[in-house]
Amino acid sequence: MKVVGILVVTVILVFIFLIQRRGLARSEKRVKRAFFSIMMVNWVFAVLLVIFPEMPGPGQMIDFIYKSFEPFW
Amino acid sequence: MIEKGRISCLELALIMYATVATTAILYIPYVTAQHAKRDLWLSPIWGSLSGFLIVVIIVILSRFFPGKTLIEYCELILGRTIGKIIAFLYLFFLLHDTAIAFREYGEFVESAFLHKTPMLFVTGSIAISCAIAVHGGIQTIGRCALLFLPIVLASYVLIYIFLIPDLNVKNMLPVMADGVMPSIKGSLAPHAWLSQFSLMSFLLPFLTNQQKVMKWGMFSVMASVLTMVLINLGNLFLFGDIIINLQFPVFEAARFVSIGSFFEHIESIIIAVWVLGGFIQLSAFFYMLVLGTSQWLKLPSYKPFVLPIGFLIILFSAWTIPSFEDMIRGMGTTVPFYFLTVQLLIPILLLCVAVIRWKKPKSFLQ
Amino acid sequence: MCKIRAIKRTFTLFLLICLTSIVLTGCWDRTEINDLALILAAGMDKGKKNNIELSVLIFIPHPQQSGQGSEMSGGKSSGQSFVRSAEGETVADAMARLQEALTRKVFWGQNEVLLIGDKLAKKGISEQIDFWMRHSEPRIRADVFVSKGNAKTVLKTMPELEKDASKQLRKIVKTHIGVKVTVKDLLQMLSSESNAAVLPWVENLSPSQMDSKKAIPTINGAAIFKDGKMVGRLSDKETRGILWPRNEIKSGVFTISFKDETGYISLNLLRSHNELIPSIRNGKWSMHIKTNAELEVIQNTTKFNLFDPNVIKKAEQKVEYEIDQRERFVFTEVQRKLKADIFGFADEFEKNYPQIWKQKRDQWNEIFPEVAVSFETKVNIQRTGLADGKPKRGAER
Repeated sequence: MKVVGILVVTVILVFIFLIQRRGLARSEKRVKRAFFSIMMVNWVFAVLLVIFPEMPGPGQMIDFIYKSFEPFW
Repeated sequence: MIEKGRISCLELALIMYATVATTAILYIPYVTAQHAKRDLWLSPIWGSLSGFLIVVIIVILSRFFPGKTLIEYCELILGRTIGKIIAFLYLFFLLHDTAIAFREYGEFVESAFLHKTPMLFVTGSIAISCAIAVHGGIQTIGRCALLFLPIVLASYVLIYIFLIPDLNVKNMLPVMADGVMPSIKGSLAPHAWLSQFSLMSFLLPFLTNQQKVMKWGMFSVMASVLTMVLINLGNLFLFGDIIINLQFPVFEAARFVSIGSFFEHIESIIIAVWVLGGFIQLSAFFYMLVLGTSQWLKLPSYKPFVLPIGFLIILFSAWTIPSFEDMIRGMGTTVPFYFLTVQLLIPILLLCVAVIRWKKPKSFLQ
Repeated sequence: MCKIRAIKRTFTLFLLICLTSIVLTGCWDRTEINDLALILAAGMDKGKKNNIELSVLIFIPHPQQSGQGSEMSGGKSSGQSFVRSAEGETVADAMARLQEALTRKVFWGQNEVLLIGDKLAKKGISEQIDFWMRHSEPRIRADVFVSKGNAKTVLKTMPELEKDASKQLRKIVKTHIGVKVTVKDLLQMLSSESNAAVLPWVENLSPSQMDSKKAIPTINGAAIFKDGKMVGRLSDKETRGILWPRNEIKSGVFTISFKDETGYISLNLLRSHNELIPSIRNGKWSMHIKTNAELEVIQNTTKFNLFDPNVIKKAEQKVEYEIDQRERFVFTEVQRKLKADIFGFADEFEKNYPQIWKQKRDQWNEIFPEVAVSFETKVNIQRTGLADGKPKRGAER
């Protein structure tokens, strides 16, 4: 199941790359680098989420930080 | 400039209205009712304070730096390093906020109709349609808003017109039975929603007419607050005290419409129309995030990043919020503080530093 | 080169359209109409083994129904609907059991009637009503009734004029002869300050009103609930009385007679407005009930000339007295005996005296029977009908 999930994620990302390919080919190196780093971040997070669906996320971080405000309200 | 399209002031007001009001009318009645009880219609009025304040700050900042968005002038005001960090915090918040908006959309569609469809398909499909709009640029979104929002607004009004025989004005009495505090406590969520007017800074550079920005910004805040107040009142008149127990009072109200026992069960139409508003809202969020990111990275075009960032948004929408109950609880407790600190404090900080460094906006105008 | 690009462009566009149309249509949750068992009415009874017995009236769809007339004459089973029931710990549990015995998926979206058996009503309904609010399919506009005996038997009845029991009850309740309560209203009443509710009471039509022996459900009075439990019943006449203070009276006929005159005058109610004016003076709670009614004459069997203002005045006074009596009659019953605040007095006091109310909220059960009630009725006869004022027909000779 997890392998299928990773595969699906990868396929979607490759698909996105294919759609954007021509636009990217003509653009500067900086754009390419930014594009690929975002894609990498996407892939890493997606795979992590597939493997550990219960991974604590930014939501819990915000909860943790702002919980101290609650008593004042 | 990264964006070539231009929008009119009316389109700006409509986009901001959709950004705030679309999900506000769904989620705010429940969240505020938990504290404010019968005074829930007062809460958005207190909440409007942060809306107005933020519009004023953002407009003054845009006078300092015409043609620049928050991400860009962040660096100009605070210097390269600190500016980048603050801008990143803001962008991260925007990503989170966008993810929450997508999740709100998904949760509503799920709990109303598509109980068994996995959330990712609901949010993913709207994300693809939004991506097409975002790819078209701000002008596309503006025109969509101009086309769709009148229909959306008309549908809201129609629900309550159809329900007039069932509305009982007495339900709102006694007003402020426990003093003013419950309604102020309940205003936490409206504060959070209205603080999203700070996102206006992403749209201001693309206006055809920069003169009347303040007026139209205020108008947009006013319209959003008015919508929330009227919807809350309508729900209160219809449901009375049980409004505290209803998750989506607006949806229930649409289900309640029955005219002459043949014109009923219209909620599907109402929701279909609501999705149009949701589309504008999500496209606007999406666009701002994509634009902000490419400005932060100082890139010449934002178009290649529409799809990757869309993917990231969907990832975040699944990741940051574990469940529906969690989301609702967060809206009433921690999330508003988060929204306010980022969207109110960062612009205030920027404005203070800008005023100290340049005194008057005029000196910077070339 | 240009051509290839154009082909590629159309191809991507085509792919995108296909993709969006696949996911956007929402086919995941598709439900075909012929996979659904449409529920027209639901009944809840106290189960024999379990908590709840849920009975549902299910619609039988007939495609290309040509001989509807012959079916009507067919008599007992018109074959438009049937009743199924199942027991369970909760309504949802019973529904799941019900589903096991059905080939199609239970669909609540068309359910317009909710019947509660009197045994269950006496046991308490607050817990079971949650299902009707929480589940996303049932509508909170459905009308709620309490039936004498089992709800299941009422669902099984076959009225002559309407297709099934569901339609029968809905149409009767729409005439506003008795109370009309939707699930929403019931929830509101149960969660209000007064904590009392009133529901229409369903009984079989008495045989004297029919030409044949048949069970026809009809509304006869009302059931009174307190704390979610049925505590008593009002007769039809008493129910008419409670409609006035609840501002729900929509139609009615008054027949009055005079001391010094034989014959009667019948009047039809056109519209009425009711106001509850609470007051707390020196710790004494009182409620002033103001009624304004407009009527028209529909029959006159006295010798009075209705064009005479004195006669109209006399008649108005008489009707005022009549309405007063009807209201007083029910108040002694409901306020003193049942002690259930179905008029929403508690909410009125809360709205007008929020501060005092907050202190006395817990003592409301003791205060309510002691609230002094006074009436003020104003009646206005608007028209005297199509005939002229005199009772004698023909020219006077």
